Amino acid sequence: MLFNTIQFALFFVIVCLLYLALPHKWQNRMLLVASCIFYGIWDWRFLLLLFTSISTDYVCSLKIQETEDERIKKRYLLVSIVINLSILGFFKYCNFFLDNLQILLNHSGIMVHDHFLKIVLPIGISFYTLKTMTYTLDVYRNEMKPTRSFGDYALYVAFFPQLIAGPIARAKDLLPQILAPRKFSLNRFYEGCYLIFWGVFQKIFIADNLARIVTPFFNSQPPYNGANVLLVLYAFAFQIYCDFAGYSNIAIGLGKCMGFETMANFNLPYFSTNPAEFWRKWHISLSTWLRDYLYTPIVVSKRYWGSWGIAFALMVTFLVCGLWHGAAWTFVIWGAYHGMILIIYTWIQPLLRKIPRPKDVLLDNLWFLVKILFFFHIICLGLLIFRAQSMTQAVSMIQSLVFDLKFNKAEASNIGLGIISFVWILIMVQLLQFKTKDSMAVLKLHPVVRAIFYCVCLFLLLVYGATEGNEFIYFQF
Amino acid sequence: MISERLKKTILKELQLKDFHLKDETHAYQVPGWDSLTHINVILAIEKEYGVRFTTTELLRLKNIGELQVLINTKCTENS
Repeated sequence: MLFNTIQFALFFVIVCLLYLALPHKWQNRMLLVASCIFYGIWDWRFLLLLFTSISTDYVCSLKIQETEDERIKKRYLLVSIVINLSILGFFKYCNFFLDNLQILLNHSGIMVHDHFLKIVLPIGISFYTLKTMTYTLDVYRNEMKPTRSFGDYALYVAFFPQLIAGPIARAKDLLPQILAPRKFSLNRFYEGCYLIFWGVFQKIFIADNLARIVTPFFNSQPPYNGANVLLVLYAFAFQIYCDFAGYSNIAIGLGKCMGFETMANFNLPYFSTNPAEFWRKWHISLSTWLRDYLYTPIVVSKRYWGSWGIAFALMVTFLVCGLWHGAAWTFVIWGAYHGMILIIYTWIQPLLRKIPRPKDVLLDNLWFLVKILFFFHIICLGLLIFRAQSMTQAVSMIQSLVFDLKFNKAEASNIGLGIISFVWILIMVQLLQFKTKDSMAVLKLHPVVRAIFYCVCLFLLLVYGATEGNEFIYFQF
Repeated sequence: MISERLKKTILKELQLKDFHLKDETHAYQVPGWDSLTHINVILAIEKEYGVRFTTTELLRLKNIGELQVLINTKCTENS
């Protein structure tokens, strides 16, 4: 059941009506049942895996809490990590591993046949595995106490707005909201409705229409024209942003309508001027997860290596980040690319700080714009590797960018106008958010301006919105 | 209570002229103290006090107040 379908809208209306009618304890039970129905519709067998992860961390966290012995605490933490990562590893990476092993053996002269297993990737597994592991890790670090209520803990992991593609909410943020009665607030409900509306608009009008430019291009064969590659990369940059930020807005909005506050997952990432800033603003729930549970433990343990320790921790973190996105070399290399950019950035940061800021306001703004545009192109190059169907295609496209950057007026204007016609409204909203430093700036506009905004969005959505009902890109991860 | 010595060490490492550090202050609330500079701050503190923290001790710290308590415990153990 996708968020961008009528079935889901009906499902959510029923859930909301029941939610409003029930007392707190029954609200939680109903939400857990609704989450199981929502997930089970894909494939009921996925529920078994979900509840294996939930039960593992429920038991391990209680065992960690019960003992004072550090060795026993560590043992239960390891049990949780091993079980969760084994499930994720088998379902997501088994075929990737077998495929690469076969290539390696064939290269060594040992001929082996295909050993592909028919494994279906359970939807959302990468997201809920991180979510449930967070709980045990936080209990181990004394950051929170575990709950004895299995149902409430299961709801934290399975909460349907966040189950399939995040945001990866931390237990210490979401669980207290589940355990305590929630107060209905009309203002929060209104904010939730706005986020759902804007998220649906981002997905159906912007992302799905841009997909019509991007998908055929990446399905085509070389040779490529460099200028077209560049323009399609711009389209993909906005497509993937609107697809995922749109999903996150809907997820956060659904939660808000029921009284839950969730962390923001995006904060104007394309306004970043450096990689550190970008990763503080892009897929925030994943980047902070990786920072807190992977990067920090590595960098702390390798601190006596100096700047090499930081470089090592960054590279390991981003290789894992790439692999988390998918079992393919393009994702691994995309991760390594970002790791390398961050390492270079940490090394040149002292030099960058010495560049004086222009005193003239206009020049200062212009300099800021240059930095944003420069860094946006660095992100786009990474996205090329991320989106390419193989490394051969990625290399072919990069070659065309370097050696064949000739603009064919008719083709370029066709793609360029296509992109502008879909992203202009996004750019206007983001400029407003950037200027006011307020993600809810639209809600504070004059009522007449707001009404015009809603009418324009609704018109574009109904008349030009893509009707294919495409899956969200991040569902595959 | 955060000691002047700890405050000075942190501010010097982060090249900050002044910033009000409280017990509840979280590392990432201090300007310039991010995941990339975190380890330099920890190394500066270890050098200043002549102590060594374990990885688990550092990972369990919630705020600067707890860091101060950990330093005090380590210094007492050493003396």
